[in-house]
Amino acid sequence: MKKILLLSSCAIVLLFTDCRRKSTNPPVDTTVNELDVLTDFANVLVNPNYQDIQAKAALLNAAAQTLASSPTPANLVLAQNAWRAVRVPWEQCEAYLFGPVEDFNYDPATDSWPVNTVELDSVLNSTNALTLADIDALPFTLKGYHPAEYLLFGVGASKTAGELTPRQLQYLVSLTQSLYNSTTALRNSWDVSIPGNFTETLITAGAGSTRYATRKEAFVAITSAMANICHEVANGKMEDPLAAHDSTLVESQYAHNATEDFKNNMIGIQNAYMCRYNSTGISLHDLVASYDLSFDNTIQSQINTAIGSVAAIDPDYGKAIFTQVGQIQNAQAAINTLLGTFNQLTNFMQTTIKD
Amino acid sequence: MKKGIVIFLVTGFILIFSMCRKPYLFPDEKYDEQLSGGSQTSFDFTSQAFSILFSGMSNYEEDLHNLGDAAFDHSFVAAPAPINSGLGPAYNNVSCVSCHHNDGIGVPTTGEAQSSLLMRISLPGKDIDGGPLPVPGYGTQLQDKAMFGKSPECTVNISYTYQTYSFPDGETYELRSPLYTLSNLYLPIAGGYLLSPRLAPPVFGLGLLEAIPANDIIANADEYDANGDGISGKPNMVWNPETNTTSLGRFGLKCNTATLLTQVAAAYNNDIGITSHLFPLETIHGQTQMDDLDDDAELSDEILLAATFYVQTLQVPARRNISDQQVIKGKQLFMEGKCETCHKQTMTTGVNVAFKALSNQRLHPFSDLLLHDMGPGLADNRPDFDANGNEWRTSPLWGVGLFEIVNFPAYYLHDGRARTLTEAIMWHDGEAAQSVNFVKNLSKADRNALLKFVKSL
Repeated sequence: MKKILLLSSCAIVLLFTDCRRKSTNPPVDTTVNELDVLTDFANVLVNPNYQDIQAKAALLNAAAQTLASSPTPANLVLAQNAWRAVRVPWEQCEAYLFGPVEDFNYDPATDSWPVNTVELDSVLNSTNALTLADIDALPFTLKGYHPAEYLLFGVGASKTAGELTPRQLQYLVSLTQSLYNSTTALRNSWDVSIPGNFTETLITAGAGSTRYATRKEAFVAITSAMANICHEVANGKMEDPLAAHDSTLVESQYAHNATEDFKNNMIGIQNAYMCRYNSTGISLHDLVASYDLSFDNTIQSQINTAIGSVAAIDPDYGKAIFTQVGQIQNAQAAINTLLGTFNQLTNFMQTTIKD
Repeated sequence: MKKGIVIFLVTGFILIFSMCRKPYLFPDEKYDEQLSGGSQTSFDFTSQAFSILFSGMSNYEEDLHNLGDAAFDHSFVAAPAPINSGLGPAYNNVSCVSCHHNDGIGVPTTGEAQSSLLMRISLPGKDIDGGPLPVPGYGTQLQDKAMFGKSPECTVNISYTYQTYSFPDGETYELRSPLYTLSNLYLPIAGGYLLSPRLAPPVFGLGLLEAIPANDIIANADEYDANGDGISGKPNMVWNPETNTTSLGRFGLKCNTATLLTQVAAAYNNDIGITSHLFPLETIHGQTQMDDLDDDAELSDEILLAATFYVQTLQVPARRNISDQQVIKGKQLFMEGKCETCHKQTMTTGVNVAFKALSNQRLHPFSDLLLHDMGPGLADNRPDFDANGNEWRTSPLWGVGLFEIVNFPAYYLHDGRARTLTEAIMWHDGEAAQSVNFVKNLSKADRNALLKFVKSL
């Protein structure tokens, strides 16, 4: 009898334990439409993000032209601010480096690093023409964001307006025009009005897409890209200079913009998960929450922690690797935790997306 | 008593011989066909499918892989520079990843930043090590880019002619034949030079291929077709600068390189203009455009070894849809058409007690890592060690079904002339002529099944 009572008690405990586990994460809203998530990912997030990069690249080019015509300290600051401004949406879009940006090398074409300063100085010291066509013909390490940064900020963010030479300014104007053209091509690659655009490729996943035979593949591409940027930031961009105790390994070092770049990478992840850029759409967050609120809360919380931990690092990352090792390691740990969670999210997509 | 002794002896003999028998091998059906890289098979089928780190690595090994991963991405710049110094003076591209996009196959163009096609050059004959004979002033590879103030060695021009063909059922396909010409040569060139185009191949699974015992590869060779099946299979014995001996070549599109360390160091040297302890001289050493910098070796051993370790420790993507009836049918046709004679399905790595990730792995590379005559259409007519002008290495087919995902648009064959798998198959000739004839005469449904099988790899 004692045994029976014990068994009965165990059974009741197990029964209630099981019920409780299930009731922790009840389906909140099972009506989230997977196609809506993909459609809004393209239309609410990626397209506006790419449009923003293009618009801010145009402003940078305009600021470069103003600086070239009147190289005053105030105009240098305006051009420097325009450079920082275009970096924001660019770094944010690195949370989804798939599709044309990857296929057609828009990333290395505009964001190669380090700058080939020896050759850049050689070009400047020559009498070669510096038209747009001349700059377009140069290797990736002589054009894009970082050569513009080198010209605008100089080593150690010490550039003064008086140091700008006419040829530097001419190079800068053509360079920023070339950059604008690249951002336009990137933007056009997702533009729904242009045949063969990637928006269509994404939203027709599993329904005739030339890239994604199933919708699941498209979701996995998105979540894998989010995981990849976590790995690149924590274990590459942050780790390499830290491990080598070498500030020359820091990207965006001329403008002391590395920490800001890292933060925007993390914000880009948040934008991707929440599907928001100027406005908000139906998101991965909505989809995950409809199945598992707890998992969704974990993801959101870990994203916020990652953003906060990066923001705690000195803006001059080249200095921080010597003075804020603890803060950097905290940020790396937070991002790596998020990386692990995104790997779980990819598994979640593998099992959740049915077609 | 006598009977007892006899029983004892018989039992003893049986036991002894049982114990001497070789270890039991599982029958094929006991292995999971999906696991193309054995236990080092990944299930990532995104655009990053070729970039997955080996599993079960120690922290040290993972750190070394990550260091190599970063090195693979590094853009080199002109010397002197605080980091990544030493580009050129003449070069083909600025980084490994510039050609091996996403660790995958390249783009068959030349002269552009993302171009991944390079051109080997030599004169008829062999050098002192048995390799291609350098062309004075140009060496054995044309560098079509150069630092500011220097001249690229030349411009490599590619033009295609297009020809449409039909299967017996009326379906058409188009093959494009490339014509390679040189212009803007930086100095006069010797006549009678030989050219060989090479498209950057994928770099995953290479550590596993390196771990296959040389004797197992050579065992499949049949250079003079002794078995009369029309298929030769020839090993390329090449100069190994690591050991200063002749070794079995297994890397490079003509098996002209013995080890991954040599392959990586040679690529740094020839493609990017970066010197290392293995190749301490600039590729343009002795040429008129040589720089006068005393900065060699430009690549530290640490980075060279890390980059090598990186390509040694990239997993192989798993096969997909292996239970699909069309895929099963396609595999049957692949076997029936004797494609598997060269694109050998299964190889096993040797025992490696020091690095178990590479040890005793049952692989499905779909390659015998040997040279085969591919016919005049694909011939480069340029010998490379023991490889003659008609011979190419059997390309491993593992991962080929993911080329469209990892490197869109995808290109196939040694110079990327094929834009689809159908084109790639139909370019086969020479020893593969019988297989191509088999494919030509398949029904459309069977051709589709065959393609679906290849896409499952």
